[in-house]
Amino acid sequence: MSEAIHIGLDPLNTIGNATARVDAVERVTGEAKYSRDFKLPGMLYAQILRSPHPHARIRSIDTSAAEALPGVRAVITGDNASVVWGAGSVSGGRQYNDPTKDATLHRRYIFNNPLRFVGDSVAAVAAIDRHTAEQALALIKVDYEELPFVLEPEAALEPGAPQVWPDGNLCPDFRNNFEPMVSNLGDVEAGFAEADQIFEERYETSFIHNAQMEPRAALAHWEADKLTLYSPTQGISNCRHDTARDLGLQDHQVRIICNYMGGGFGNKNQNQDADLVAATLSKQAGAPVMLEFSRRDDWLGVHGRWPTVQYYKIGAKNDGTVTAIQMRGYSGMGPYRKNSGGISGMDVYACPNRLRSISPVYTNRTTSGNFRAPSEPHGFYGVESMMDEVAYKLGVDPVEFTLKNMRRPTDDQPFTNYSLDEVITTGAQQFDWASRRKTTPGSDEGPIKRGSGFSFMMFRAGVGTSSAIVRVDAQRQYTLFVGVTDIGPGAKTTMGMIAAEELGVPLDQVEVVAGDTDRCPYSVGESGSRTTIQTGYAVMQAAKDLNQQIADSGMPTGSDVLIASATPNPSTDGKTRQCFGAHFVEVEVDTRIGTTRIVKYTTVHESGRIINPTTARDQIRGATLQGIGQALHEDLLYDPASGQPLTTGYYRARHLTHLDIPEIDVTFIEVDDGYGPFGAKTAGEAGIILAPAAMANAISNAIGVRMTSLPISRDKILEAMA
Amino acid sequence: MGDKNKADTSLNPKQRSRREFLESAGTTAALASAVPVLGISTAQAQSDIESTAAKTRIQLTVNGSRHSVDVEDRWTLVEVLRDQLDLTGTKIGCDRSECGACTVIMNGKPVYSCSQLAVWADGTQVTTVEGLASGGQLSPVQQAFVENNGPQCGFCTPGQLMTATALLSNNATPNADEVKQALVGNLCRCSNYNAIVEAVVMAGERSGSAV
Repeated sequence: MSEAIHIGLDPLNTIGNATARVDAVERVTGEAKYSRDFKLPGMLYAQILRSPHPHARIRSIDTSAAEALPGVRAVITGDNASVVWGAGSVSGGRQYNDPTKDATLHRRYIFNNPLRFVGDSVAAVAAIDRHTAEQALALIKVDYEELPFVLEPEAALEPGAPQVWPDGNLCPDFRNNFEPMVSNLGDVEAGFAEADQIFEERYETSFIHNAQMEPRAALAHWEADKLTLYSPTQGISNCRHDTARDLGLQDHQVRIICNYMGGGFGNKNQNQDADLVAATLSKQAGAPVMLEFSRRDDWLGVHGRWPTVQYYKIGAKNDGTVTAIQMRGYSGMGPYRKNSGGISGMDVYACPNRLRSISPVYTNRTTSGNFRAPSEPHGFYGVESMMDEVAYKLGVDPVEFTLKNMRRPTDDQPFTNYSLDEVITTGAQQFDWASRRKTTPGSDEGPIKRGSGFSFMMFRAGVGTSSAIVRVDAQRQYTLFVGVTDIGPGAKTTMGMIAAEELGVPLDQVEVVAGDTDRCPYSVGESGSRTTIQTGYAVMQAAKDLNQQIADSGMPTGSDVLIASATPNPSTDGKTRQCFGAHFVEVEVDTRIGTTRIVKYTTVHESGRIINPTTARDQIRGATLQGIGQALHEDLLYDPASGQPLTTGYYRARHLTHLDIPEIDVTFIEVDDGYGPFGAKTAGEAGIILAPAAMANAISNAIGVRMTSLPISRDKILEAMA
Repeated sequence: MGDKNKADTSLNPKQRSRREFLESAGTTAALASAVPVLGISTAQAQSDIESTAAKTRIQLTVNGSRHSVDVEDRWTLVEVLRDQLDLTGTKIGCDRSECGACTVIMNGKPVYSCSQLAVWADGTQVTTVEGLASGGQLSPVQQAFVENNGPQCGFCTPGQLMTATALLSNNATPNADEVKQALVGNLCRCSNYNAIVEAVVMAGERSGSAV
């Protein structure tokens, strides 16, 4: 097996030692219960009928034949089930709360009319088995009035474009202002005036479905006025809160259970319309309801990364100093602004003159939303491709260009620590950057060309306050109650390791109870790379409290227990706390057939102290590979004539398989900056941010043509070489 | 299904039944032997919408236990395993032969159980992820997955394990390239491919050298 290289810190007693997951045996024996694996007595199966049209008004729905089918127990449509899915339409991706819910102008219901994309929900059926439910869907008669549709964000903003909403296609923000998101620092015009040369280019990136292996499902079960939902969610606490608000319940009336979850990468945050549909059907049928999404349901009904168009204008001096960065971007959000539509990246440069304007735009494609580092991989691809091009045009090594221009701590804005120089120079040395890169891009003779690319980043995790509870009994068994869901990165294990370290006991003396809102306190949820640092910090503080209690009053005896809880609000004393990373990749492009093969891939990350080297290594490797898939393959193509999505599935979107996978070398530079639990920072999203930019830069270095559109598929390489 | 149902929702994939899909796909080796069974059940299926679906009794051995199950002709093997036999370790990822999460070993070969009609499984020997460990002892490949973080989210893990087990029974000490070739039909969206391949190679090295 290949281990990551660790530089900087020695392991502690538990933390820093390669540790098997606490639930690894359940995961390899089939004992692990995912949402769809539960079965309750009398449980019905549900399916959703989805819009076959990109934009259509429902004139009428006739459900009588479906209702008459033997075995059908409930049929719901917008006529008899009007429930707002708040988190599905929160303008700008703001945290969903009462004021936001009230303010949201363009609300998404569980069933909408008009229908605004192929896959929009029309009706749902619960029946005695899934095949009867499937049959019943086919019996629902819908009279559709087809409406004009628009698929591309720039086209959607042109005069006369079909209107997705009556107020125009520029998405409103959470205050219902119809304005682009603008960030303006310094004076770009002065920066351009100062420049020796100006560089301009248009970049575009594709829709990337999260494509997690577990399709969405929701099992809803009412006992009197209490709802239990077995739902795959990345945050049980927020899922509970949002579901309660949407259904007009109090938080304590909803219980969310999710111990194992088959991946989400951002599209299982909060609650989902599936939760609300299952709950509504269950109420109506008077029985537990299991709603199952097919893969195509999931592809269209659940969101993916927003596609973007990015126009850059860069001013630079001949010595390689960047004087101005301007970007005008468009993000295709589908018909609901579920999340921000952000395009980040330019803030890793120190250049004082930066102007960014992003227009999130409604289209009649499927909904866009968060995917692992929601605003970053496409933005870093755009800006770091642009800067790579500038560096080569100025005759400067892109690494030298970066070391000259990257953001560093200032007196005004100190960092808790800063290791980007070390990260980049370590990576360059390990990779042998100086000899692998082509000083003149495309200089290899013959049709098979090699080239190397580089990308770098700093990234701040999400914030939020979590709680944790630790208990010890007279047998010295410790139980940690923590509201995480183990969605893949290994949060249960990480939380247990942090508790064991602080308590000074072996990990197997700590039982971790997670994934159930009736048993666990609030946690921010597995999004924004924040579980380790936010919830982990709460675990550490609760364990400290328990240690103090034990010191004060001794271990409990008999049937007594000691219990400690903590809800800290981690502070960084006004300092910026970032993780850092750099990727280097050499590719070999066969210009006759357009294929790209990875020769060597080197990653260096500083994510503070690494809690579990095994799972951290695979967070970096897995996220990097997802980013390589984004760089080379993945897209959701639409037929412009019919508005039909064409690549709704793994084969069609061409996800990476075992045969596509290179070795990914991982190095962690470990630092304890005195913040976070034992100095841990964030790792979950770090790898994916860097891969598309590094891959694109490597391909351009190999073939000598700048690749301005993701994915860099074979046809685009052939076109570039033609 | 009757033609009357097709007219209304011609673009809705739901309208295409499991049986229609599998019959039209028709590339699996098991199809030939199952044709007579399908010939009978197709006629019966015409009346499924109005009446309780007809069932066929099949016998199969799963993880060493013999089962007799009355199955609807439209049921797939994975539905029988999960819904009838409560063996929920086998996952449904795509239900369309794309992802491999539902892989089981049937008569010694890895198959996608989402794309095997239940009636085709009559008389077969099936092993699922629940059948890998014996006597409380993990199999070598399970043990290697535990040690080298084979599962991230774990949803593809049962399928990866079943294909890897079938590989190891034919090639006790595969190298990384051979593992990749064998497991190409098992997708992992966590993209934990490196760790999975390392674990399978490790399992082979351990048990292969012990033989």
